[in-house]
Amino acid sequence: MTADVSWQRLSPRMLLVHPVHEVLRQLPVLVGSLVLGSSTGNNAWPLAAVSVIVGIGLLRWFFTTYRIDDENVSLRTGVLRRRSISIPRNRIRSVQTDSRLLHRVLGLTVLRVGTGHESRGHSGFALDAVEAAQVPMLRATLLSESVPGSAPAQLAGRVLAQWRPSWLRYAPLSFSGVVMIAAVVGLAYQSGIGVTLSQRAAKAGAEAAHRTGVVVVVSFGVVGLVVASVLLAVVWSWLTYGGLVLRRDDAERGLSERPSGGVLHLRHGLVRLREHTFDMRRLRGGTLREPLLVRVLRGARLDAVMTGVHGEGESSVLLPACPASTATGVLSELIGDGDAVSGPLQRHGAAATRRRWTRALGLPALGGVALAVANAVAGPPVWVWVVWAVVTVACALLAVDRARSLGHRVADGWLVARAGSLERRRDCIACDGIVAWTVRQTLLQRRAGVATLVAATAAGRKRYEVIDVPADRAWSVAAEASPWVAQSFWARA
Amino acid sequence: MIAFAEPAHPPSRRAPLMWAVSASMAWIVPIAAQVVWLVVAPRPGWAHLLVAVVTAVLLVAHVFVVPLWRYRVHRWEISPQAVFTRSGWLVQQRRIAPISRVQTVDTYRGPLDRLFGVANVTVTTASSAGAVHIVALDAAVADGVVEQLTDIAALGAEDAT
Repeated sequence: MTADVSWQRLSPRMLLVHPVHEVLRQLPVLVGSLVLGSSTGNNAWPLAAVSVIVGIGLLRWFFTTYRIDDENVSLRTGVLRRRSISIPRNRIRSVQTDSRLLHRVLGLTVLRVGTGHESRGHSGFALDAVEAAQVPMLRATLLSESVPGSAPAQLAGRVLAQWRPSWLRYAPLSFSGVVMIAAVVGLAYQSGIGVTLSQRAAKAGAEAAHRTGVVVVVSFGVVGLVVASVLLAVVWSWLTYGGLVLRRDDAERGLSERPSGGVLHLRHGLVRLREHTFDMRRLRGGTLREPLLVRVLRGARLDAVMTGVHGEGESSVLLPACPASTATGVLSELIGDGDAVSGPLQRHGAAATRRRWTRALGLPALGGVALAVANAVAGPPVWVWVVWAVVTVACALLAVDRARSLGHRVADGWLVARAGSLERRRDCIACDGIVAWTVRQTLLQRRAGVATLVAATAAGRKRYEVIDVPADRAWSVAAEASPWVAQSFWARA
Repeated sequence: MIAFAEPAHPPSRRAPLMWAVSASMAWIVPIAAQVVWLVVAPRPGWAHLLVAVVTAVLLVAHVFVVPLWRYRVHRWEISPQAVFTRSGWLVQQRRIAPISRVQTVDTYRGPLDRLFGVANVTVTTASSAGAVHIVALDAAVADGVVEQLTDIAALGAEDAT
């Protein structure tokens, strides 16, 4: 691979983008200068502020250079505070691109490089921005260490999953719409508009209530809120994940020692286009996430478990809520083991089930005692008892579901652990990626004769727990998954 | 089904005393506050007595019971293939990591550790959930552990992720 070893600049079109971003970033300063200008009657203030900000934006382009040589990729940024980052090319694990609206209009793309050891708070390596046409070449160059001898032309792509409009049916089941409405309301209150608006709304609501009755107004309000949040959630999901394509590009067989070589390529977004390329050799498994409501509609999400990719949040998402068959199919394809993804699990037994019940019913039981006391003293209204009964039944159902979810499986080099109800997850972890085992017992767990087994890996969320395994079986599970535990000095057959 | 033996070696004999001293330091401020309270507002007496009793019970538990409990639980052992520790008191954990996956071996000695002549050894792996801590070893033992671990770890040349 020949690489251009001179320092290069980002796309000259950034001369248009930087000033706009800079103005947006320095908006408080601009507002301040406007206030200062109008109060002193001197209109030069805002003009001066704008020109300085735009000037800094323009300078930013001249002061940002990057270089890709045989060993490292390097980036120098900053006008006053110079910063330079250098990453060894063989440490590159993933390449991510992202183009927001302004970037897309100008044909630009932000390119981010992910390495094995990212710490939070440390801003990574990002080229903001290069021309979109350059991206395939840059991506192939940057990942060429991971996928030896593979220019894009030699890759045979295979589409694993493609977005369908029917996936939108899972969108209303998330809280994203409610969160967005809350964010807008919060923003309105912060800017001071909210107070007047809410006064007007309260006045209008009071008048309407006077005419038609309180119940009607409140139910209209609730229905309106639900409809708005559902619409927002659907539109947001459509804009974010619309056009999603998950593709696997295999490296030529024979060049890579493991058949799982190659790269995984994820692309999604309608307005803001995002692409993520993962090095398949860093794949250590996957997580099927089935939140209760999504599970009811037979849906699931899929996260990747990879070294160099954070286990939580957006960066590890492979598939948003989609039909469970699609998610399990893709994961089986990725890890090459269908049984690990959907096979039956080893149950954890009576003690674990009992613990689910005592935990779920602890709070309702306390509430019941408190209510009984209150009943003897004051006599609370009947609806309080109804609420208590409903909560208790819901908690009992939760306990049933949580106990049913609990399970694990070790076979063919994969550790599978499933747990949870409202946020049920099934983690499939490659056993050879496990670098340490922990058997953890609280006082109550020791009494109940169960233990939590923690598999530590360098990938994803780093710790994967098998909750409440019978204590005498905990080490057997670890030994089954990792031969080095079975062969260790302390193991006794 | 396999049984798993416990690691063999206890921490330094001075460890419980050191833990007790460090725990008792945390109680200086609450006790001082209570003395000030007694001086400023000596009434009502029963409130002072109640708080004093609660403080005394917690103090005895924290300063005398917990260090001994911890000393009974804490164990460590190194085989040519793996590091194995047991730690904790209320929540107890046993952690094993293969030496082929060890990335760094650090020792740490705080002011109290130096006073009592002990050292803590941390063996890190590629996972943040996989660091093995061997606490409160005699300084000489800790040096031996570090030497032993770095000797064995140098043999493995894998990626360790």
